[in-house]
Amino acid sequence: MNRLITLFLLLVLCSCQDTTEDIFTDNFDRRAMLTNWVDNIIVPAHEIYDVRLQALRLSKDEFIIEGSTLTFENLRLAYKNAYLAWQAVSMFDIGKAEEIGLRNFSNIYPTDTQLIEENIQGGNYNLELPSNFDAQGFPALDYLLFGLSDNDDEIINILQQTAYSSYLNELVDRLKLLNLEVLNDWRIPFRSEFIENDGSSATASTDKLVNDFLFYYEKFLRAGKIGIPAGVFSGNEIPTSVEAPYSGIYSKELFFAAFKAVQDFFKGLNYDGSQDGSSLEDYLNYVATENGTSSLADPILAQWTIAEAKVQALDDSFRSQVENDNIKMLEAYDELQKAVVLLKVDMLQALNIQVDFVDADGD
Amino acid sequence: MPKYILFILVSLVIVSCSDDEPTIEINNPPFYDFERNGESTVSFTGQTTRILMATELINAMTDFNVTSTHLLEMYANENAMGQDVDPFNNMELNNSTKSIKSKVAASKDFFSSNTAESALIKADFEKWINGQINEVFPNQNLLATPGVAGQIADGTNVRYVNGKGLEYNQAVNKSLIGALMVDQMLNNYLGTAVLDEADNRTLNDSGIPAEGMTYTTMEHKWDEAYGYLFGVSTDASDPLATLGEDSFLNKYLGRVEGDSDFTGIAQEIFEAFKLGRAAIVAGDYDVRDAQAQIIRKKISEVVAIRAVYYLQQGKIGIPLSGNDYGPMFHDLSEGYGFIYSLRFLRQPNSVAPYFTRSEVEGFLSLLNEGNGLWDVSAETLDFISDAIADKFEFTVEQAGS
Repeated sequence: MNRLITLFLLLVLCSCQDTTEDIFTDNFDRRAMLTNWVDNIIVPAHEIYDVRLQALRLSKDEFIIEGSTLTFENLRLAYKNAYLAWQAVSMFDIGKAEEIGLRNFSNIYPTDTQLIEENIQGGNYNLELPSNFDAQGFPALDYLLFGLSDNDDEIINILQQTAYSSYLNELVDRLKLLNLEVLNDWRIPFRSEFIENDGSSATASTDKLVNDFLFYYEKFLRAGKIGIPAGVFSGNEIPTSVEAPYSGIYSKELFFAAFKAVQDFFKGLNYDGSQDGSSLEDYLNYVATENGTSSLADPILAQWTIAEAKVQALDDSFRSQVENDNIKMLEAYDELQKAVVLLKVDMLQALNIQVDFVDADGD
Repeated sequence: MPKYILFILVSLVIVSCSDDEPTIEINNPPFYDFERNGESTVSFTGQTTRILMATELINAMTDFNVTSTHLLEMYANENAMGQDVDPFNNMELNNSTKSIKSKVAASKDFFSSNTAESALIKADFEKWINGQINEVFPNQNLLATPGVAGQIADGTNVRYVNGKGLEYNQAVNKSLIGALMVDQMLNNYLGTAVLDEADNRTLNDSGIPAEGMTYTTMEHKWDEAYGYLFGVSTDASDPLATLGEDSFLNKYLGRVEGDSDFTGIAQEIFEAFKLGRAAIVAGDYDVRDAQAQIIRKKISEVVAIRAVYYLQQGKIGIPLSGNDYGPMFHDLSEGYGFIYSLRFLRQPNSVAPYFTRSEVEGFLSLLNEGNGLWDVSAETLDFISDAIADKFEFTVEQAGS
């Protein structure tokens, strides 16, 4: 008997690799980094800021009592020193700072001079309202101490009026109180909560603070201090929207204080460079070694060096830089922006951190 | 021993489903129609708005009653103080917060860290607008001569040119094709920096629409690229049926399509847009990105072909004797804008442009030398034509006729 056997062999060789994306886990000690951030960078920044604010309070009190040119000059100097110290605090919008809106109440600019005058003349205002964000903090002080008149004696006279001096008094005291609230929270309960939360998820401390850091770099350092006045987003130059436009010459100094704080945070350095602890730079180097690639920290730092040189070449007053040669301002912006791609795309990918904010595109 | 006939059919199907790419089925519809839960997900109102704004601006540039302030407000949709203004005839445009200027040389890929050049480009448009008002308008009733702005006949049409024979309105019109439409399309919306920004992929994979919308953010970004080409088409789902409905990219895609050397290009571009969009719905990002490359290549060709076309037409129009410069000035004014637009073309599979700003400025300075278009030579026009065509697969002959 003949049998017809048909063997149909269907061999499906599927060389499928594992299709799920690896859940990325590295063994970098995030807790050590968080600890360095809190103990050597964040808390000291708030402490130094607190000391500077205390000095500002004292000079304010003396000026209100005496009203002399000397006490006025001291007050202006104390304002500048506190404003510089603020730059190292601003990026840490987490915990109590985030909860109470420290940044919104301390440094929203351009300040609304009309609203300030209304508050002063009316005497009936509530600085805790969001509608008063731009009538308080350093930008409002900038206006009061430098913008009330072209003539310093005239400014002193105006500030000696009770309505003005009590507003000045309240603005300074409020800055001090707000920071103290944040500092005290860091010192006791939040420090351990922050460090304990050392995992890698959208709500982990590392992921959150790195996002805060990037958000700050993009919105406040790059855009607020340089891009917006240079007209990057509107197409029109807005010289009056620089930081501290009334004092005039401080905008570059304030920028560099902020830029130094950004770089110190990235490198894990404390304010005077005496402590070099675990940082994003170390983290990137670690990941690079693990993967046998070159570290992303190098191009980031190199890009910042380029940006620094561009900003260094600008006028001390960004306001006059915008008015006189805005292209240089834009060139500085461009170099700051190039680092955004390295940070926001490349670094976050390397550290497996999800970005939690996007550019508002406007379409 | 029984005889066995043994048929062994060994079919070895080797499926190499590499990595994480199981075959994704893409449902590619015949027209640009996409829906979710019965509602259309296609939207590009912002692009339609800008095309209409640009149309009004171009028309106003030859309205001799208009002021430069008014034209600049049309360009920026705000005044010099940054305040809201109502410069347009169409009230919907006045109510919009969008503007032409904010999207000129403003793509993420080319200009987000190149704002210094972006500012120069934005200012070039203002320079042309001011030139129209300050140089050309005062000479409305003078005949143009070398070095003197005025009017000149182009057949029975009247053209208004500056002292070098350039129509500023044409320079603005054709330069916007590159600086606004092409730049936004190729270097912004079709780029992965925009399409894949933040968690766009995750949300698109899960089909989670943007807040309050029918579309996912990624779908919308792709549609916005589409809108810069088909934003004013009568039926945007079947736009090739009525090609030529604006004065910008759509019109000139129609012109290139009408040249028998390039017939089919409109269909290729439309198909790439459609398949890319369908690939987004299916979550196949390799197919999506491949379509983006096709669009970059073909749209770049459209602009480059028109640049060469007008240079060659201008060459034909150089008067051998007499004074009939009008037709040539008109062609070369259009060509001037298309050359300006070269800066925004994007090489496929690359982050690079085809032309840098200095290359483009080099071409334009050749046209501007001396008395400009009054004494430009055939050799110069051929030189620029060759330099452009060299970067593409088409020839000067194919483009020039």
